[in-house]
Amino acid sequence: MEDGKKGNTMQTVVSRLRGSLLLRGAPMLLAMAMLGGMLSPCFADQGPTPDPSGTATGDRTTTTDAAGNAFVVPGPPDPTAPDYAQKKKDYDEYQAQLAKEPLAAKLADHVGHVRVATNFSWTLLTGYLVLFMQAGFALLTCGLVRKKNAAHLMMLNFAAYVFAFLAYYAVGYAFQFGAVAINAAPLNLGGVPTLNHFLLGSGQWGFLGGKGFFLSGPAYDAGSLCLTLFEVVFMETAGYIIVGAICERITFWSFLLCEIFMGAILYPVFGCWVWGGGWLSQIGSTLNLGHGYVDFAGSTVVHGVGGFAAMALAVILGPRLGKYGPDGKVKVFPPHNLAFVVTGTFILLFGWMGFNPGSTLGATDLRISVIAVNTNLAAVAGSAVAMFLWYFMFGKPDITMACNGMLAGLVAITAPCAFVSPNSAVVIGSLAGIVVCLGVLFNDRVVKIDDPCGAISVHGYCGWLGSVCVGIFADGKYGAGWNGIGASSYLGHAGQGVTGLFHGDTRQFLCQLMGATLCAVWAFGATYAVFSVVNKVKGMRVAPEVELEGLDIPEFGLKGYPEDATVTMEA
Amino acid sequence: MKRIDAIIRQQNLDNVRDCLTSIGVEGLTVMDVLGFGRQMGRTEVYRGCEYRVDFHPKLLLTVLAREDQVDEIVDAIIKGARTGKIGDGKIVVTSIDEVVRIRTGEIGKAAV
Repeated sequence: MEDGKKGNTMQTVVSRLRGSLLLRGAPMLLAMAMLGGMLSPCFADQGPTPDPSGTATGDRTTTTDAAGNAFVVPGPPDPTAPDYAQKKKDYDEYQAQLAKEPLAAKLADHVGHVRVATNFSWTLLTGYLVLFMQAGFALLTCGLVRKKNAAHLMMLNFAAYVFAFLAYYAVGYAFQFGAVAINAAPLNLGGVPTLNHFLLGSGQWGFLGGKGFFLSGPAYDAGSLCLTLFEVVFMETAGYIIVGAICERITFWSFLLCEIFMGAILYPVFGCWVWGGGWLSQIGSTLNLGHGYVDFAGSTVVHGVGGFAAMALAVILGPRLGKYGPDGKVKVFPPHNLAFVVTGTFILLFGWMGFNPGSTLGATDLRISVIAVNTNLAAVAGSAVAMFLWYFMFGKPDITMACNGMLAGLVAITAPCAFVSPNSAVVIGSLAGIVVCLGVLFNDRVVKIDDPCGAISVHGYCGWLGSVCVGIFADGKYGAGWNGIGASSYLGHAGQGVTGLFHGDTRQFLCQLMGATLCAVWAFGATYAVFSVVNKVKGMRVAPEVELEGLDIPEFGLKGYPEDATVTMEA
Repeated sequence: MKRIDAIIRQQNLDNVRDCLTSIGVEGLTVMDVLGFGRQMGRTEVYRGCEYRVDFHPKLLLTVLAREDQVDEIVDAIIKGARTGKIGDGKIVVTSIDEVVRIRTGEIGKAAV
């Protein structure tokens, strides 16, 4: 009798172990991390030496004036260059000055160091703001679902951060920035370009970064890790966008796979193409398409990827039980906590003040004030339009749609925020307010994709819109030399930056249209391909009875709200 | 001995309590309840889709009384709870067999 009992207990324990990906996956990841640590000497290469202590980061080479002109004149110049005579003259003058005023040169070293330190503070602090957006997403999505799934949803948001972070640390950062990291903004964050190798492709046709795995070797550098902190929280944003579309029906284990996929592959690949020096960023010079594909802070790189991946997962999972009646009529699952929804939205707005202005990677880039104002303007315009549109269509403004409208404006302004005027920001935010409203109705009624929190409309559709808006509204006042295009003149004007359709650059518009659509295809296609297979191997969706009961107890054994528990809780 | 049950609007509780205490009622039990009456449910729109609210939140009041107090108490509840619009609620009076005060063991009218 006793033996039998023991056997049962053992079986329970074993089956629990089997069932729990946490217990299987965590040691695996930790083992990988340790392996990475041990192998780190192997990753070391013959390239420039990294600077882990930060004591060699920031000197006269990072000293610039307000326009970004470097203090140091590089040289000696190449004798075959067309403007060799001018360059040689500048270089000789600079060398003569150096010899005459050594103290000034020394001072420039100090100025350069302080400049990098200022930009470090800015980049890290705005990164912390973006990190706080996690709390906003958790509250927003939790408030929008039914009470019976509140704990499950909070755990999804929480675990998203943990597992996507580990995946990004292991391989994601290397895939994204392994070819071009700090040298994307060398004057802002200092340091030397230690990450300089494509795993797939080379030169201007890079497809995947290839250095900096496990943040060791060449990535163990103060400047590079400053960027890592900022970029990992961006990836996390894409990671928890998907929660909004797949919640209330996904199992925890399959959700963890989604997050690891996001942090290791889906996000870094497109991120490499656009921000890591990859081929999309270079088509300005290779295919003569404007400044190449431009996405300032990630309308597509972050939000589009998250939104369209969410769409693929929502299609694979199917709608929640009872969402569509037998006659195809849509059933409403009202939100359980509107205070969470509104608070969460405001936290997201606050975090966005890091997301967009922080993407300059430097406080010494004074465009940050324009970016911050543009971001806010688009947010309020999007929200106002969503409120009015709903009022005219349904008689009352919808609180959750007002919040979605604000987020839609924010998502849409994320790509163009640095390149447009405040007036354009209002127009872009308003367009996003319309798109998000129509998108929600379209998903619900036409294609019948169940998206409980509107993640697909807010982040997918409006992300696409925002990136295209760069190609329409960019006014050429900012971004001279972006992606290496037109540093001295563009469209015949000195200092002309990224320019859109309305200001005379059609090719930039075509480039944006193509890049944004490619983002949608990549995020939807890759996610659909991978997870339709996963879903065949082991169903990603909880059992129908679990879904009806609510996922809290079956998946985690705890209710979101103890007063709903079936057992008496101690006071 | 009578038991008076009244279903009232939530927002009228303070009024009803004041009316009852002003005539000397010494005990009142209140419960949150859901239900519908002649007004039935209503229709709302969430994210563009109509949904029905079938049950309205109401309060259920219970007062115990001697026979001679019943009319006065019913009038007091009506005074506190009537708005004249649909959904004001209902009052039900029933006879009860026994009442016991747990602390003292008193029974019957002494316990009301």
